[in-house]
Amino acid sequence: MKIAAVCQSGLGSSFMVQMNIENVLKEENVDASDIEITHFDTGGLNEQSADYFFLGSDLADQASGLPKDRVYLLKSLIDKEELRGKVNDILDKENIQHS
Amino acid sequence: MLSSLLTAETIQIGHADKISWSDAIRKAAEPLLSTGKIKESYIKAMISLVEENGPYINIGPNIALAHARPENGVKKMGMSLLKVDSAINLVNKDHPIKLFFVLAAVDNTKHLQALKELTTLLGNPDIVKRIEKASSVSEIVREIKEDDEK
Repeated sequence: MKIAAVCQSGLGSSFMVQMNIENVLKEENVDASDIEITHFDTGGLNEQSADYFFLGSDLADQASGLPKDRVYLLKSLIDKEELRGKVNDILDKENIQHS
Repeated sequence: MLSSLLTAETIQIGHADKISWSDAIRKAAEPLLSTGKIKESYIKAMISLVEENGPYINIGPNIALAHARPENGVKKMGMSLLKVDSAINLVNKDHPIKLFFVLAAVDNTKHLQALKELTTLLGNPDIVKRIEKASSVSEIVREIKEDDEK
């Protein structure tokens, strides 16, 4: 499974989100060996580039072409609890155990 | 590492009255410009990215992380911060900002470590609140240093 954090430049905020996803997975005691987490800019947004996408809600328009159930829009990019809820949602969908 | 980038030289406290969000980004980036870490073109790029794409740099409550791409005029990695006493609307009133961070990244992995530390710092609402309330640059420097040493 591949999860992508996406932002306009692919440098700053997307990397912050990627790190927070990694932290959440660790805290949820998830075996992440089959989970790839990456970050890139909105130019890389396409159905093939990842299974799930995280992006700031301001960029919603740019993800409008993607399947809705694979796109997660974040109100805040640094709020770990908001992220945790959404990451857990993915884990539940994929039947991946977490605490 | 964060405390070696966000220092008394790169942190500023300013008044919010009558300045626009683009002035705030410009002012926040000033220490990086005057020390030759970025070129003028980088400031323009950061501002036009927001003009074109909206307030996406509003990464959390009251916090903006302004940045553009390395090729827009970064000479050396740097980070700076402008704190304003009352919030400035980034593009519109849904995006009030008190802390304007500027990230100047060079195209290697070095900036990732600094961003990682910034993420940890901003992920702690208590520290963010203390930085927002700080009345002097040295207070902010101390907060960042203490967090860095943990």
